[in-house]
Amino acid sequence: MYYYIMEPPSSRAVRQTYQRLRDLLTNLGIAGEMMAASPARTPEELAMMGLERGYSTIVAVGGDAFVNYIARTIIGQAVLGVIPIGEAGQVSELIGTNNLKTAAEFLKFRRLSTFNTVTADPDTLIFLDGIIEPPKLAKVSFVIDGKLRGYAYFNKLKVTRNLDILIESQHLVEPMKILGLFSVGGTVIKSVSQFHGRNVRLTTEPDLALLVNRQPIARTPLQLRLNPNSLKVITKRGSIL
Amino acid sequence: METNGPGTTVGVNVSLSGTLKDQNDIAVFGMVEGEVISEKSVTIGQTAQVKGPIKGELVTVAGVVRGAITASDKFELLETGKVFGSISTKNLVIHSGGIFVGKSEMPTGEETVEEPEEVENEPDQSSTEETLIPDEE
Repeated sequence: MYYYIMEPPSSRAVRQTYQRLRDLLTNLGIAGEMMAASPARTPEELAMMGLERGYSTIVAVGGDAFVNYIARTIIGQAVLGVIPIGEAGQVSELIGTNNLKTAAEFLKFRRLSTFNTVTADPDTLIFLDGIIEPPKLAKVSFVIDGKLRGYAYFNKLKVTRNLDILIESQHLVEPMKILGLFSVGGTVIKSVSQFHGRNVRLTTEPDLALLVNRQPIARTPLQLRLNPNSLKVITKRGSIL
Repeated sequence: METNGPGTTVGVNVSLSGTLKDQNDIAVFGMVEGEVISEKSVTIGQTAQVKGPIKGELVTVAGVVRGAITASDKFELLETGKVFGSISTKNLVIHSGGIFVGKSEMPTGEETVEEPEEVENEPDQSSTEETLIPDEE
């Protein structure tokens, strides 16, 4: 039997969706214990309760950031099931659907895929893409696997669960004036970089938040570590990704 | 840094020092001081400056490289490229405008084929001498 943890509903429509989901799960014969997260009972606390009660599969019902919270708590201890609701673009892509009924059917078929994850020390899990987006061009310094050091200026930095680091920048080079009359230059310089490693240290100037679906999960400086094949998730097709 | 992910790209405004190693393609458009090693292709873009050795199967240079380049399959110096150092490759292409200051080496398998033939002649001579000995007695 599954243990479901639901994100606090943001609207009446989401409440109605939850009711529809309950009916769907009952019809499929996979209705289990259902818990709703709230300010009094955080998703992490509910996930811990599920593990203590001996559930081997915990289903996160909600958006990307909510699923990431649940994954952080159950990694290595239980299988993660997902019903994407709300802003769940990443997790929908990951399991192979954004449809409520199809996601419920995936739970019934229970095909498992194993995913890499990243730990941001001390205990933050990055299962879905984490983004750092400073309000203006910022500097990032990095050390990759202790062998490669570097720095860059960026507008957007992404950390994936495979510990790929994507750094994007776009800035305008001021035009030069000749004799105070003619302008020369004024071009936009774009830069895209991609690195990957098993241990990465990221430092930004100034310190910035790492966001999953616009919710902060960690803050720089970050010590990131790859955890290969560390999280089992119920998806459309079972495979090692 | 050594992984088998989707490859490495060093952007225009990135500066690196150390060993940049990847099992997949590497593209450099920024500054690198240190080794650049790939099991596949290494592309040094027009805006790139690399100070250190480069190793790859296919190496293409449109920027500036100061160091030894080893391309196991092919090396190509484009018209905007500058190489100050040595090049070792089986297949060397330098486009008009490309600048190369240094020495090049093109390893071929021919030298190793000739050597065994010379060695085979020596035993033949000694066997002739041996057959003469009974006649003298």
